[in-house]
Amino acid sequence: MAANWYSAPAPVTRRVRAYFAPVNRATQTPALFDPSEQGAFLLDAPPAPWISLGWIEGFTRKSASKTSPVLTGIPAMTLEQVRETLQAQVTLQFLSWTKLTMALATGSQHMNLLAPATGASAAADGAQAAAAVTVQTGSTATFIALNSLDAAKFAPGSIVALDVDNTGQTGFVGSPVSGAYLRAALTDVDYIRRITFNVALVSAVATAGLTLAEPLIGGAPAAGLKLQALSGFVDREGGSFYQEWSALFVMQGSQGDRVFFYYPRLQTMTSAEETPLALDAKRKGGLERVLLKGEFLALPVTDPLDGEHVLCYRSFLPAPATLV
Amino acid sequence: MQNAKDSFYVALRTRLVAINPERTILLRGAVRPGILVEEAEAPFPQLPNDVYVLRWLALGLDLDLGAAMAAEECEIIYQTCGTQSFGGLDRGRALSQMDEEIAAMLQPFYTPKLNYTAQPAAPMLTNVFWDEPGFTPIAINRDRLTRSAKVVVYSYQEQGE
Repeated sequence: MAANWYSAPAPVTRRVRAYFAPVNRATQTPALFDPSEQGAFLLDAPPAPWISLGWIEGFTRKSASKTSPVLTGIPAMTLEQVRETLQAQVTLQFLSWTKLTMALATGSQHMNLLAPATGASAAADGAQAAAAVTVQTGSTATFIALNSLDAAKFAPGSIVALDVDNTGQTGFVGSPVSGAYLRAALTDVDYIRRITFNVALVSAVATAGLTLAEPLIGGAPAAGLKLQALSGFVDREGGSFYQEWSALFVMQGSQGDRVFFYYPRLQTMTSAEETPLALDAKRKGGLERVLLKGEFLALPVTDPLDGEHVLCYRSFLPAPATLV
Repeated sequence: MQNAKDSFYVALRTRLVAINPERTILLRGAVRPGILVEEAEAPFPQLPNDVYVLRWLALGLDLDLGAAMAAEECEIIYQTCGTQSFGGLDRGRALSQMDEEIAAMLQPFYTPKLNYTAQPAAPMLTNVFWDEPGFTPIAINRDRLTRSAKVVVYSYQEQGE
């Protein structure tokens, strides 16, 4: 049996798709992506633990690694090259504002504006929150089991945050994503729910609990976690915490070819910044779409294959029947 | 290049059947999905209403590649007078529905290239692909509303084409 083939020109793509996955900050373990096993995934259904952040714009990779020549002889001539520094940056613009895109595009911790308690004093990052309710057994990633009295406190369209109480923990806090680093114990019992990424929109309310419009990033919540409503998000210019995520960028070629850029560790390197984009490019001063601008610094991992330090893996899956 | 044009047309026709199976046309004695290629039919004194008419326009070639690339401009023209039951007062709504249908028909922005001169159609090696359409303003001629969407359809020339 013979096969036909052709010589494929360079990939033609429309946009870049972005996926992020949490890094275990305590152990510095990034999420893994294996293009040989996972490269054919449906773009709308990435393999766990990757989270789709949709299409992005202005994806730019910039290597800041420096090599320098080793010179010998008179006159000096280059004998060989050595890599002096290993550094890379990624710049992009998110096309949507969500908990995750906002967090990725800010330089510090990103917080949930918890629904305030009645009469609570005003605070820039949200007043003292109304009391949390306790999750019951039988929850899933898209259903939160509550007792009927607690369920009645929520309405369809609410946004909720789930996590443990702050009981004086220090170090990285938030599950399954570390949302902050506490150097000293805090007294706010809701602090971890303020910084948790375990948030979702409520689509329906029943006496048995809440149905969610999207699965929780942390999967099925354990009984005993606590739940609070939130009204939005807030981040700050300043602070000492850096977001760190694994990132995967996919360019889908017109012929079924794919290019992957896998960054095991990306840290946000700038403070929150927005980029206005005119809806009508011919008309200045008109409506503008406000894009979240993300700038990231790639951190190294050690490749277990050969012990080399690397920042990024670029993979290419050729189109079917193309000469390689 | 003809294979790319055929593949693009058949892809849109197949997608139209899924999107709105009621949009049909009686042509040469047969009821067909409401989309046709102008150059493959007898000349029309006036384009038919409520169907999509594909008109092939410009052609560009990039020969400096491993496989030559053709860029063929396709204008998809559609017009409506609305329905008789509403006295044509729904012509704006009817055109909006056709706008939505053509936007849906063009996604995804690629389709496999097939050779339709063979029976059955023979799959080829590459995909035909295109970018987002450019819509023209509505042209009003008495009670008839007309719009067109222009798409550049790209394809690679394969051996034997």
